[in-house]
This record gives sequence, structure tokens and C-alpha cells, in this order.
Amino acid sequence: MASSLVVTCPECGSYNSARASVCRQCGAVLKAERAQRPRMQKKLLRRTDFLAAARANQANTRRLVLILVAVACVLGYLIGWNIQIYAQAPAHTYGQPAPGDWSPWFFSAWGAIGAAILAGVSLVWTFVAFKAGDRIVMRMTGARQVGPDEAPMLNNVVEEMAIAAGLAKPKVYIIDTPALNAFATGMSPGRASIAVTQGLLDTLNREELQGVIGHEMGHVVNWDIRYATAVTVLVGLIALVSDGVLRSFYYGGGRRRDSRGGGVVAILLLVFAVLAPLVAKLVQMAISRQREFLADATSVRLTRNAQGLISALEKLETSAQPFDGANRATQHLFIVNPFRNFSEKASALMATHPPLSRRIERLRNLGAKGY
Amino acid sequence: MDTGAWIILALIVIFILFMIAMYNRLVALRNQVKNAWRQIDVQLKRRHDLIPNLVEVVKDYMSYEQETLRQVIEARNSAVKAQGPADTIAAEGVLSGALGKLFALMENYPDLKANQNVANLMEELSSTENKIAFARQFYNDSVMSLNNAVQSFPSNMVANMFRFTEATYFEVPQAETAVPKVNLR
Repeated sequence: MASSLVVTCPECGSYNSARASVCRQCGAVLKAERAQRPRMQKKLLRRTDFLAAARANQANTRRLVLILVAVACVLGYLIGWNIQIYAQAPAHTYGQPAPGDWSPWFFSAWGAIGAAILAGVSLVWTFVAFKAGDRIVMRMTGARQVGPDEAPMLNNVVEEMAIAAGLAKPKVYIIDTPALNAFATGMSPGRASIAVTQGLLDTLNREELQGVIGHEMGHVVNWDIRYATAVTVLVGLIALVSDGVLRSFYYGGGRRRDSRGGGVVAILLLVFAVLAPLVAKLVQMAISRQREFLADATSVRLTRNAQGLISALEKLETSAQPFDGANRATQHLFIVNPFRNFSEKASALMATHPPLSRRIERLRNLGAKGY
Repeated sequence: MDTGAWIILALIVIFILFMIAMYNRLVALRNQVKNAWRQIDVQLKRRHDLIPNLVEVVKDYMSYEQETLRQVIEARNSAVKAQGPADTIAAEGVLSGALGKLFALMENYPDLKANQNVANLMEELSSTENKIAFARQFYNDSVMSLNNAVQSFPSNMVANMFRFTEATYFEVPQAETAVPKVNLR
């Protein structure tokens, strides 16, 4: 993409046309001098248009998932090509005429097989994750399911938000930790689960809890939970394969015989194996950050009350309790980043969550609209 | 057939596909409205079931408030009997007003609030109140989507052809929106 046609949003990292003054994804100001004009001020108030944001969100996610699959395919192709050269197999093995016939030079039958295998594996893996993903995540975070007898208020609040969204009531889980956090998972709006920590239940009042549950219900309504699972699986697969490639270079590097440009291809693979997990990670972060703003907005649409979520986020901001139940694979599921120190020091590009101050500011903006 | 006939045929097929899509959308919206109304109904029934329990528990504590309790019971009984959306909306409005008064009065009885049984009932009732409000919100949103589709072009042609009608909003009754009068003298 040419840099003159496209600008990157400083807040959420999504691409915008160079003429746009407001990010189409998250509504952030792209041109500071234009934000001063009165017409722009009105536009900024209107910027949380739920339906348009949800549509852009879905389209963007589909594009990003495609990018991830493409990265996996290229990785598979390079691996196959390398194995072919390493094994000194003829360039065209399946019914091709002469072994010396390299046309075009970059075609490799083994590479095509490698790409197909990795694409197939990512599909199967995604399918498995769609079937069992919520249970795996719940076990990873150590959450236990609670019924209406054990936690009546939490169950009531979840049911209220489900009614407001017009969905079936999700399953309710509690994580026994003093940290303040919450997340949603599940494969479809009809079969979702919402988990909150014990610390959150003890600290927040009913109104604030409603804001937080509304945020999680927003992830459910917007199908974020499913895309998050798919993205997690793809990022994990790319990281795993790249790691394997780098290890094989480390251990098998000395035995490499150089023939017919094999060195160039090997370097190509090496570079790609280093870059692919980075690209995948960036894609994952971008998806995650866009969704947090949208879920906040959906929460306000469901509760018609921005104040509850604002004061909940303020309490989450001041709480310093670390949460051990989260790891790198599940961190983007939570309402606030469980690795507090990491998110504050890392650059905006690598964070899974937008800064809390930005989110609170957005909610205040929504409140000014009369919600 | 020549090219002109093919083009006309293609246009007819596209037109029919459009009609089918619009018809299906209208059916989905109408069912959503019906389902949303059923949700409100479920919550209203739940409120009717909870009120006798609450009155039973609090009446020993609140012997000076017999009049209010009687009003709540009466409003509840007439709400149970109400038939059809218009009647239901009016009767439930009266009940909400009476309940609100009772909740306000209960604030004056500290030992009542300390009772675990009462606290549980209060949580259930106030949650049911919230659920009614949220169900009404979802119902009204669904009604708006249906009415938009029934009124706007081109889906209004399909709606007229298959007799899709506009649905009625669940308006907040007067008693609930009226600002309470405070007399300090």
C-alpha cells in the first residue's frame, strides 16, 4: 500500500484513506488541525455509530484472518521448497517433463504441497477450536461455573444484559482471584460464556457490574468471541511452525548442501520464519484493540447508561492486583489487559487493549450524546 | 433466444430474488417482535409471582403501611387479570407505581433491610424490574426495525402485498414518567 494514499490510525492501527479526518474503525482524530472546526466537533460526537462500526469490524476481521491464512500458506510453501532442494529432488516430480526445466523458476511442487498442508492444518485446528474452544479457555483460566443459587446478583445481571441484547443467557463463571477482570468466550451468541473474577464482584456495585457485563455481552453480540478464537489458533500455529523452522536451522545448519540457489531459498525461509510470527502478532493486536472500543459502545447501547462502565473502568485502572490466570494466549480476551506493566511500557502498536483513559474519554463522549 | 430476451429474463430473476430476500427479512423482523413481547410477558409473570411473597414477609414489619400494601396487592391482581397489550401496559404501569412507593417506604425500616430473606426478595424483584425495562427496550427496538421495513421503499411494496402491519410500541405509562411531587411544607 502506498503511503500517500493510506494513513494508519495512531490509536487502533487500522488503515484509512488519506482524505479521511476521522478513523473509520475507531473514530479517532487523524488530522489535529481539522478537529478544531465546529463541524468536525459534531462529527466527533457522532463517531460511535454502532452499526457502521460493527460492519467495518466484521469486514476488517475477515481481511485480517485471510492475511493470517496467507502468511501460513507462504510459510508452508517456503518449507516445502526448502525440503525439495535439501532432498535434491527433481524440481517437477508430478508428471512434469524434464527435471532441468525450471519455468517459472519459483515453482516448486513440494512447496505447493507444503502450503496446502499448512492451510489444511489451520482449517482443522480452527474447527477443533470452534468445537471445544470455550471449555479449553475456561480450564486455562481456572474458572468455575456458578448457578443462580450461588451468585444470584451476577446471574441476574447477566440475564438482564442477555434480555437487553435479545439473546439466550450465557453460562456464568467465577474466577477465584482478588484481581479485577472479566472476559467472554464461546462459539456463537447462542452458546456463550461470561467469566468475572471474585475481586470484581466484591469491588463493583450493581450499576458498575452491569456496565462490565454489558461490555462482555457486546463481545458476544458482535461475534468477537468467535473471531478471537480463530485468530488465537492461527497466530499459535504460525508461531509454532516458525519456531520449528528456526530450530531446524539451528541444529541442521552445518549439514546443508548448497545446490541450485538452495542458499537463497534457505535465507528466504529464515527471514520469513523470523518475520511471520511478528506480522501475525501485529494483526492479532489490531483486531483486539478495535473490538474493545466497539464493545464499550455496545455496553452503553444495552444499559443506556455510560456512567456505570466509566466508574467501573476507573476502578479497574486504580486496582494494582496482578492476575496469574492469564497467559499470552488468552490476554486479549479480558476487559482490561491482565499484564498491566507490559501494556503500559509497550508501544501502542503491540498492546492488545487501548489505554483505559482513551476508553473512558470515548464513553464520556457517548454520555454527552444523551445516553 | 436473442440477447434482449436473455437480459429481460435475467432482470426478472433478479427482481424475484430481491422480493424473496425482502419477504424473508420482514418475516424475521415480525418474529423478533413477537419473541420480544413474549420475553416481556415472562418477566411480568415473574413479577406477579414474587409480589405476594414480598408482601407476606414485610407485612409484619410494616404494620403502619397497610394502605400501601393493599394498593400493591390490588394493582398486582388487576395486572394479572389484564388481557391484550393495551390493558396490560396500563395495569402494569399502575403496579410499577405502587411497587416504587413500597420500595421507597421500606427504606424507613432498617431491621427490614437487615432481614436476609427480604434482601433476597428485593434483589429478585429489582432484577425483575430491570429485566422488564430491558425487555421493553429490546421490544421497542425490534418494533422500530419492523416499522421501518414496513414503511420504507421498496420493502413497503412487499409488506403491502403480504399484509405485514406495523407493531405498537410499549410506551412507558404516564405514572412511571411523571416527576414525583415533593411538598416540603
